[in-house]
Amino acid sequence: MSRYATEFTKEGYIKYISHLDMMRLFKRAFKKADISLKHSQGYNPHPKIGVAQPLSLGYLSTGEILEFETVESIPTNLIKHKLAEQMPSGIKILNCNLLPETGKTLAALADAAEYKIMIPENKLSTAALDKIVTRFLGQDQIPVKKIQRKSGKETEINIKPMIRKLETTTIDNNIIMTTLLDSGSKSNLSPELLLTAFLTFSSIACNREDMEVMRTKIYFSKN
Amino acid sequence: MYFNKALDKLLKKIEKPARYIGGEINSVQKDASAVDVRFGFAFPDTYEIGMSYLGLQILYTILNKQDAVFCERIFAPAPDMEALMRTEGLSLFTLETKMPIKELDIIGFTLQYELSYTNILNMLDLGNIPLLSKDRDETCPLIIAGGPCAYNPEPLSDIFDLFLIGDGEEILPEICREFASWKASGEEKDAFLKKVCNITGVYVPKFYEPIYQDDGIIIDIQKLYDGAPDTIERCLIANINDLDFPENNIVPFIETVHDRAVVETFRGCTRGCRFCQAGMIYRPVRERTPERIRLLAENQLKNTGHDELSLLSLSTSDYSGFEPLVMELMTMCRENNVSLSLPSLRLDSFSFKVLEEIQGYKKSGLTFAPEAGSQRLRDVINKCITEKNIYSAIEQALELGWNNIKLYFMIGLPTETYEDLDGIVSIVKNIKELNYKVNGTRGGRFNVTISISNFVPKAHTPYQWSAQDTPESFHNKHNYLRDKLRTKGITFNYHGTDSSSLEAVFARGDRRVTPGLIRAFELGCKFDGWSEHFKRDLWKTAFEETGIDPQFYSNRERNLDEILPWDHIDCLVRKEFLKQENEKSMTAQTTEDCRNGCVDCGINRRIKCGSEASYE
Repeated sequence: MSRYATEFTKEGYIKYISHLDMMRLFKRAFKKADISLKHSQGYNPHPKIGVAQPLSLGYLSTGEILEFETVESIPTNLIKHKLAEQMPSGIKILNCNLLPETGKTLAALADAAEYKIMIPENKLSTAALDKIVTRFLGQDQIPVKKIQRKSGKETEINIKPMIRKLETTTIDNNIIMTTLLDSGSKSNLSPELLLTAFLTFSSIACNREDMEVMRTKIYFSKN
Repeated sequence: MYFNKALDKLLKKIEKPARYIGGEINSVQKDASAVDVRFGFAFPDTYEIGMSYLGLQILYTILNKQDAVFCERIFAPAPDMEALMRTEGLSLFTLETKMPIKELDIIGFTLQYELSYTNILNMLDLGNIPLLSKDRDETCPLIIAGGPCAYNPEPLSDIFDLFLIGDGEEILPEICREFASWKASGEEKDAFLKKVCNITGVYVPKFYEPIYQDDGIIIDIQKLYDGAPDTIERCLIANINDLDFPENNIVPFIETVHDRAVVETFRGCTRGCRFCQAGMIYRPVRERTPERIRLLAENQLKNTGHDELSLLSLSTSDYSGFEPLVMELMTMCRENNVSLSLPSLRLDSFSFKVLEEIQGYKKSGLTFAPEAGSQRLRDVINKCITEKNIYSAIEQALELGWNNIKLYFMIGLPTETYEDLDGIVSIVKNIKELNYKVNGTRGGRFNVTISISNFVPKAHTPYQWSAQDTPESFHNKHNYLRDKLRTKGITFNYHGTDSSSLEAVFARGDRRVTPGLIRAFELGCKFDGWSEHFKRDLWKTAFEETGIDPQFYSNRERNLDEILPWDHIDCLVRKEFLKQENEKSMTAQTTEDCRNGCVDCGINRRIKCGSEASYE
C-alpha cells in the first residue's frame, strides 16, 4: 500500500465540471490506467481518493491536489504518465509524489489557498487601485453578508482575519487581484465573499460572469 | 480547443453548465475543414437523456469512422440556457466545435418519442433555421430524421427534407456519401432528393401527397415525382453482428440517466405483444454472437472506466445463449469490480440465481410487467404471462429477501372493462397476501409499487386502427384504481392523461396536424414529455387556432380498410398480418411466440428469420 499526491490543472471548459464529477472522472481514470486503488472496509467500500480542497464550479486552477492510496506501490513517474494519458483536454497532470504512509489527510492539513482573480475594468490606474486596496484592508472590520448553508439565513461576518494577503495589478485594462485566503477545515473564506466585499467597497461595477477566478496554490499546515 | 467567449459568459449563469461543454473522454475532434460532410446528430431532449441513448453512441461511432465525415452532437438546451441564448442572440451550437448548427451540412434528428417534437422545432429555431422544408434554401443544412417515430413520419413531413426508415448503420453513411458527391456537383437540392429517394429506407415526403375525403379520411396517397418509389421499404440489416459497434463510448463528465457500458445483444422480438410497436418494426430477431458481445463489453469497460455493464435488447432473457453468456459476463464483471445490470429479465429460477449473485445484499427491487389485470385481457394483447407465473416468481423473490416489488400495467387497452381493472387490484392484494404467507402476519417492511400507463395505439401495430380511451375515461379509471388501492404498503403511480392523449395524436397523425404542432411551439410548448413543462392549455389553444380536432386522431376507431397516413411506409410486416392479429385480439385468441413456429407476419419475404439453429 502506498499513498500519493498528484498535482493537476483545470483549465478551459473543464472548469465547469463539479467537484463530485471530477472525483468520478479520476476514479474512472485510475480504472482505465489499471492502477488499483485501495478501498475502504465495510458494506459499501469506496476507493481511497480525495482532493485537498474541493474547487468551486467555474473556477480555473493551476494547482489542484489529489490524494490517493494504491494497493501496490508504483513508481510516481509511472503514475503521472499513466494518469496523464487518461485526462481530458484542460487537465494536465503536473507531478506525482509519495506521501508518508500514515498521517492526516491533505484535506485535514489544508490551511490556505492563493487565488488570482481577473476583473475587467479599464477606468482605474494602478495607483488609484493601490489606494483602494490599502483603504479596503485598512478597515477595522470587513463585513460581508453570508447566507448560512444549513438554515438559509443571512448573517454578517467579518472576513478581515481570513484575508492573509491581497495585492492588485493591472494588465491589459484588467485588474488582476492576487490573494491568499484561509482555506481549511478550521477557517475558510470563499473568494466569492471577498469579491462581494471588495466590489461593494470600491464601487467597481462589473458583472460576475465577466470575471475569472483561478486557484494557483494550496498551502498546508505543518502539523 | 474551440473556446467561445460569448458562450463562456452564459455558462457562468446557468445550472449544470457541463451539459454544454463537450470535450468528454472519447468524444471526437476532427479538422472540420478537411472533411466533406459536417453532420450534426441532434437529440431533441437534454444532454443527460440524449447521452443515455445507445443509438447516439452507435451512429456517432459509425459516422466518425468515415474520414470524410465529422459527426458532432446537438442537444436541446434546458429552459434556463435557452432563455439566455435568446437574449444574448447565441445560436444553438454543436458540442464538439461550438459551431452554430446552421453551418453544418446535415442535421439528423432522432425521433424517439412523439412528445419531443416541439423540441425539434425549438432547436431549429434556436439555430436560425426555418422550420419548414420549403422555406429552406441551399444555404441551410439538410434536415433529416430517423428512429422509431419515423415509421409514421407524416406529422413532421413538412419539417424534414427526408426520413430514414429502419436500421441506420449503413444507410446514414450512404446518405453522407451521396451528399458529398451532390455538394461537389453544385446541383440543386432537388437533384439530391431525387437521387436518394430510391435508396431503400429513404422517404422524401415532398414527393408524396395525401388526398383527403370530405370527412377527413385519406382516399389516396399520390406521388408527385414519378421517379419516387410507390412504397418506402424499411432498411433492414440482416447481420448486425458484423456492424461496427461502440467500443470507445463517450463518457459524460456529469451523471446521466444511464452511466454505463452497454452492449446490444440482439435486435427484434419474437413475442408479438399486440400493443408493442418495437415488437413489430424491429423484426426479425437478429443476434450478436456471445464472443462478439463479450469482446465489445470488455473493450468498452477498458476504454471508458465505467463501473457498470448492461445488456440491451427488447427482452434480455430471450437471447438464445443467455445462460452461458450471463455466467461469462458475471465472471468478467466480478474480476473487474464492475456491476452487471440486466434489465427486463424473465423471472425464472436461473434469473433468481443470477440476481442473487449480482444484487447480493443490495436487493434493489423487482419489476414485473403483466400489463393487464385479467387473463382475458392479457390474451387480448397477447402478453403471454399467467398469474401463476407472477405469483410463483414473487413468492420466490419474497423468500430470497426482496421486499420491494414494482408492477407495470397499461389501462385503456382495447376491450378493457372495469372487471379487468379489478384484476389489477386483486393481483396487488394477492401479492400482499403472499408476503404475509412468507414473512408472517406482520409482513415486515414490504412495498408494492403500481405504475399505470395509458395505452397509446401506435402505427404498424395490430392496434393501429383502435380508438384510444378518452381523457375522461382515463381519468375515471385512475380514480377507480386509486380508491381501491389506497392501502398501506402500496404506492400508486399513474401517467398524466393529457400528455398520453397528445402522444396519440402525433403517433397516428397525418400532415394536417403539423400547423398545430408549430402553433404550440410558437405559444411556448417544449419538453412536453416532462410533466413539469407540459402545458395542456397552450396545446388546446394551438389545436383550436389551427382548426385541428385532436380526437379525430386519438379517439376515433378506424375502419380496417381505411388508408392510413403511413400506409406508404412498409415496415416489412404485412398489413394483412396486423389485421388478423387485430381480429384475433378482439376474441381474445393468442398467437404463439414465433420462435415456436412461424406466424407468417411477412418479414421472411425479405430475410431468413432467426438462426433457427440457435432456437432449440
